[in-house]
Amino acid sequence: MFRKKNTAGVNSDEIRAILDEKKAKMKLSLKACAHCSLCAESCFLFMGHNKDPKYMPSYKFLNSVGVLYKKKGNVDKQDLGEMRDLVWERCVLCTRCYCPIGIDIPDMLALARRICRSQGVYPQYDRE
Amino acid sequence: MVKAERKPVQEIFDAINGYGKVLNVGCGGCVSVCLVGGQKEVNALNAELKVHLEKAGIRKRIDGYTVERQCNESFLKELDSKAPEYDCLVSMACGAGVQHMAQRFSKIPVHPVVNTVSIGIDKDLGMYEERCRACGHCVLGYTGGICPVTRCAKGLFNGPCGGTNGDNCEISNEIPCAWLDIYKRLKNQDRLGDILKVRPHMEWQNQSPRTIIQEPYERRYLA
Repeated sequence: MFRKKNTAGVNSDEIRAILDEKKAKMKLSLKACAHCSLCAESCFLFMGHNKDPKYMPSYKFLNSVGVLYKKKGNVDKQDLGEMRDLVWERCVLCTRCYCPIGIDIPDMLALARRICRSQGVYPQYDRE
Repeated sequence: MVKAERKPVQEIFDAINGYGKVLNVGCGGCVSVCLVGGQKEVNALNAELKVHLEKAGIRKRIDGYTVERQCNESFLKELDSKAPEYDCLVSMACGAGVQHMAQRFSKIPVHPVVNTVSIGIDKDLGMYEERCRACGHCVLGYTGGICPVTRCAKGLFNGPCGGTNGDNCEISNEIPCAWLDIYKRLKNQDRLGDILKVRPHMEWQNQSPRTIIQEPYERRYLA
């Protein structure tokens, strides 16, 4: 459903600058993902959550960095908040996910976290 | 997880006093979870230091940046282009993170701003209790899951000593005797025989740096 964006408090230029730093790697990774789902079983959170597809490393990667790339950094706080739940709550960055094509999924998720952090969006462990 | 506590602001202030540009680096790992060294704490410390500096009439640039984990090279390398801009780095990570950062940026002075205290459990929000000292010689299976190294003042493996003070330790009336608790736990499990098994002496493996390679990976690193 269409939702009007409220980009207050989000610096899209800064997001784009961070994205540009890893543009080549990110572009290649997004293009290379064959949706084979072989990364899924290497994720203990996926296995520990009854194989919920939302815990698949590829899902987390495509719905964080993939969205940021597609929207060219034009996201609002709500988008970043949803991304925060995805890249922190559903990933612990154990770096054990395996991609047969060689996509560096942890690096991509760390990039999504870095972008969230740059906009002041990160877990508040004393509130959650 | 690793638990830490922040150093007094004066100690931090003294550490950075001689430098013009300071980068305060947070860590998104354990210290973030125990509310001492994450992004929020980086911002809070920087604000506190700026007030301190203003009062002292000192001009200094203090920036903040948080990496996901300072103990992991793939996350720490994010600072490669940023760190050389600064005269000094301060780290809000545990001792491992500080050392890792000091090694990677060996030309820049690195100061810790937290004291790494223990491996512990979360008792409540912002309240943590030490449970492990990473001695490398775990005997919890024989002691009913109560660590004699952490809980016993003498770290005895074959206790108790003769200094128990009622139910408590001779060093304080407020510290329960670890070996009495071990006795009670084992008795409750009908395993008192375990307390009679003499355990070999502690090798104090935590007195020298250790590198561990998990067995399934031995071929990868030791071949």
